[in-house]
Amino acid sequence: MTDTRTTAAEPDRGFVDGHREVPILQVKNLVMNYEVKEGMVSAVEDVSFALPKGSSLGLVGESGCGKTSVALTLMQLTANNAKILGGEVILDGVSLLELDKEQMRQRRWTDVSMVFQGAMNSWNPVYTVGQQIREAMDLHWDPTPSAKEVRAKTEELFNLVGIDPEMIDRYPHEFSGGMKQRAIIAMALSCDPKLIIADEPTTALDVIVQEQILVELKKVQQELGMSIIYISHDIAVIAEITDLMGVMYAGKLVELGPTGDIFARPRHPYTWLILSSTPSITGPRRQLAPLEGEPPNLLDPPTGCRFHPRCPFATEVCAKDEPPLTEIEPGHSIACWNHEQVPVTFVKGEG
Amino acid sequence: MVIKEPDSADVLSQEESDALALSEEAIPESLWKVRLGLGWKGLKKNWALFVENKIGLLGLFIIVLFALMALAYPVFRAVGPWQDDNIYDPVIGYDAPIQEFEIVATEAEITDPATQMDANTAQLWCFGVAPGGICEIPLQPAPPSEGHILGTDPLGRDVAAQLSFSTRSAFMLGLIAAVVTVGVATVIGSISAFYGGWLDNFLMRLADLVLLLPLIPILIVLSGLWTINLPLLGVLIGILSGFGGTAIVLKSQALSIKVKPFIDAARVSGGSNTHLILKHIIPNVLPLSFLYMMFTVTEAISLEATLSFFGLLNIDMSWGIMLNTSQSQGYLRSGLEFWWLLIPAGLAVTLLAAGFFFVGRAMDEVINPRLRAR
Amino acid sequence: MLKFIGRRLIQMVFLFFLFLTLVFFLLQAQPGDITAQFLDPTIPAEVRAQIVERLGLDGSIWQQWWNYVTNFVTGNLGVSFQQYPRTVIDVIAERIPRTLFLFTFATLLSYILGFSLGKRLAWRRGGFSEHSVTIGGVLLYTVFYPWFAILMILFFASGLGWFPINGFLTPTFWRNAPYSGNEVFAQMLLSLIVMAVILLATKWLASRQDERSLARLVRWLGYSSGVGFMVLFWLTKPEMRPFAQDIAHHSILPIVTLSLIAFAGTMLLTRGAMLETLKEDYILTAQAKGVPEKDIRDKHAARNALLPVVTSLVLGLAFIIGGGVVTETVFSWPGMGSLLLTATVAEDVPVATGALAFIGILALIAHLVVDILYAVLDPRIRIQDSN
Repeated sequence: MTDTRTTAAEPDRGFVDGHREVPILQVKNLVMNYEVKEGMVSAVEDVSFALPKGSSLGLVGESGCGKTSVALTLMQLTANNAKILGGEVILDGVSLLELDKEQMRQRRWTDVSMVFQGAMNSWNPVYTVGQQIREAMDLHWDPTPSAKEVRAKTEELFNLVGIDPEMIDRYPHEFSGGMKQRAIIAMALSCDPKLIIADEPTTALDVIVQEQILVELKKVQQELGMSIIYISHDIAVIAEITDLMGVMYAGKLVELGPTGDIFARPRHPYTWLILSSTPSITGPRRQLAPLEGEPPNLLDPPTGCRFHPRCPFATEVCAKDEPPLTEIEPGHSIACWNHEQVPVTFVKGEG
Repeated sequence: MVIKEPDSADVLSQEESDALALSEEAIPESLWKVRLGLGWKGLKKNWALFVENKIGLLGLFIIVLFALMALAYPVFRAVGPWQDDNIYDPVIGYDAPIQEFEIVATEAEITDPATQMDANTAQLWCFGVAPGGICEIPLQPAPPSEGHILGTDPLGRDVAAQLSFSTRSAFMLGLIAAVVTVGVATVIGSISAFYGGWLDNFLMRLADLVLLLPLIPILIVLSGLWTINLPLLGVLIGILSGFGGTAIVLKSQALSIKVKPFIDAARVSGGSNTHLILKHIIPNVLPLSFLYMMFTVTEAISLEATLSFFGLLNIDMSWGIMLNTSQSQGYLRSGLEFWWLLIPAGLAVTLLAAGFFFVGRAMDEVINPRLRAR
Repeated sequence: MLKFIGRRLIQMVFLFFLFLTLVFFLLQAQPGDITAQFLDPTIPAEVRAQIVERLGLDGSIWQQWWNYVTNFVTGNLGVSFQQYPRTVIDVIAERIPRTLFLFTFATLLSYILGFSLGKRLAWRRGGFSEHSVTIGGVLLYTVFYPWFAILMILFFASGLGWFPINGFLTPTFWRNAPYSGNEVFAQMLLSLIVMAVILLATKWLASRQDERSLARLVRWLGYSSGVGFMVLFWLTKPEMRPFAQDIAHHSILPIVTLSLIAFAGTMLLTRGAMLETLKEDYILTAQAKGVPEKDIRDKHAARNALLPVVTSLVLGLAFIIGGGVVTETVFSWPGMGSLLLTATVAEDVPVATGALAFIGILALIAHLVVDILYAVLDPRIRIQDSN
């Protein structure tokens, strides 16, 4: 695992070359619930983070922890029964949640685009891949591009992601799984978005193709200087390609900081337990710390810290008060009352 | 996702299960009791799902209403207001109040058309009676009156009694057609799924053909060649529908059951092909079959009414025949003047067919959960 | 693609022979000897034997079957009993265009109406409108059709007086007309077919254009020339126009009535198919791309929902053909359907079975058309088959 810290001065993510730069994306105190027959499901609870321009952030967590919900809320793509109860989302100076439906629609894809889980089904089977990519460009390019311009750009994108441009006029069912995923990435880039969100970009693929896609994504990010948010439950994927990492549990962001730092020394009990549960092939043999129990029911989440029922370091205060996300080191934040109890078990540089 | 608490009745308490484990003898529950219990529970659950759909309830309500109407016939004829055979028999009954018309010489002299008639017209009914006399004409069809709440038809028969009598034949026809359809389709579907190969191919090709054949023209020609009565019609409809779309659906259902592990288990235990088909595949296909029965009844009711309306069937009395009688005598052209001849019969066919269709759709949503509104 | 059509065609031919055999055996299965129904029992035995031989009724059942089939294929369907000595093929040929006209129009109308209503219904789920339209639709689907047709006539024809009560044309109007009904009708059909071809060709040509502006131009040119052709055609026939109008006027109510009962099935099916399609991931992707709502509904969801709906066209056709027979009868519209009924009632067996056979052919051809249409619409079938 490479050291992915920037060469700029130290880790306060706001500084680049000594100047405080406004991050491309700021999420502040986002709260979103799903309204169901039995009540309100607390899917996203007070989530805040910032993404500097050109970096990549990985959102990690178990299924149902809210990471996809955060992404969907950002893009206002949530289901009809989703209610945004508070918070702000500021993308390049524009407050997204305040936009009405039409304004948001116009900004989609050209401000922020998304690569969904399972690209196989993201393609409409009755139109060619080229036609669907063209659709995106026709909608957002200003002025509307000519057929030649669309073709040129699409070929450029296909070359970038490693697909034969001849496939542009083929139907999705003629593509392999990996090609479909790459084509989705190409489509996501077609309107030069400021931010891309990739939700489980490799989950449905076999390991070899997975590796190829990850390499492509990293290449694309570096070549184009894209800001990306990766969502995955697979820590290994996140470790490979992200600069920053956010760990989510039961709708809350519990740890946020540089990927390398977190892997070297996880500070939140949950993160620590997850990393401990993965045996290392190269590292020393050690006792695996199991993560007992199940994620809580979000209709009726636990009082205080949501993780406390499963936490080996929980104390009285954990059941009573929710710990806020506090910065314990520059650029590294934790939401835990007892984070000092978390042992240091890893040697720096191990992955 | 909420994890439901198990029913306290299902779960044995700690003491109970301990006791059971310790007991020397196992206490077998009689098989029929277990089956009944499971069946009842399944029924309750499905009923709850069915009730969620208002349309299904509406359909059920309609069917019950018509069932009552069908029951009304024997009851009213035995102990109710329709006891007089001569008047209320739906086929040969007769009752027509006599209208008196005073005969005047020419049309111009008629001052009140309700009580006067000119001599020429009078000759048709009362031959030989001179102007100044009285011509008595039976009024048929007669509008609703005290003795006949829906009036009488052009042959003087009580409309309400006809309506009620026909309900029985409608239900009977529906039942026959449904049972035959499902029987044929289940057998074909199961055989097709089970044996596969060229038999499957041939049967499905046949089903394709039958599927796109319009039933009405075929039945019209058949009724010209043969004399078709109610039971025969039911069987014909059953066979013609059974070979078609229903067979295809049931075959895929049978196919999905055939690949289930318990079939292999049964075969390994020595079950013959017939045994497998009869005892395992068919019972599991049956619930879906029952659903299609509903749609068959809808179709059968409409088909019979249409054929009777054209006068092609050999049936004593049905809603279609009621309309046929009125139509052929020209009473349906005058708009709503003879509304009791036009509305009740047609409405009856429509409503009962719709009722079964509603129930069928609601059952469809129970059996195919993906149709549910969520 | 051509291979696909070829294969289906062969299947259709095979099915048709199966059907013909079925019809033949049904004929034979009737009680009593076919001769007994049409031959005067008092004619002397030798004459009768002669006639029997001439009609080929003395051979074995297989002999007769073979005769029947070969005769049919060569267009010899026998002679009508009722309209002796007109041949069956003569009687039927006169009626086919009219019935085709009725069926095609009614099918198109009901599918277009049903599909657009169904997709809108699925798009806005829930609420009072969904339930009421569903119930209304189902009632139209299950309504007793002859009764409904009568009601339509009473309301629109007798009541409001907008349309004639029945018939193909107004006999008194045509008493000294220079044309026959068939002539005018043929002209009408011709102009309609040409216009349809122009419009379809335009649509196809426009879809091949990459440049949006060029496609628009092609469409504009094509549609206007199609409509223009129609207008010009009838402008050049001022004497025929009022007669054509009379026929058209008579056709409206039957077509509308038939379409009304047929559209509900399509509507309910479309709604169901749309609901399934809307759950697909590519809909979410389209939303994420910022595609406007209407385009998501039409270009993405409905276009995919179209596939199962087109498949159901086959079933729907059986429904429309059956309904067409009833329509023609109730409206006294002289097509093949009413011929079927009148021939059956008059026990004109050759005509009745001939008409039935032709209805079977119609159903099979329609089935083929639907199969081809489906292949055109679903690229997965098209490309698979050509490999």
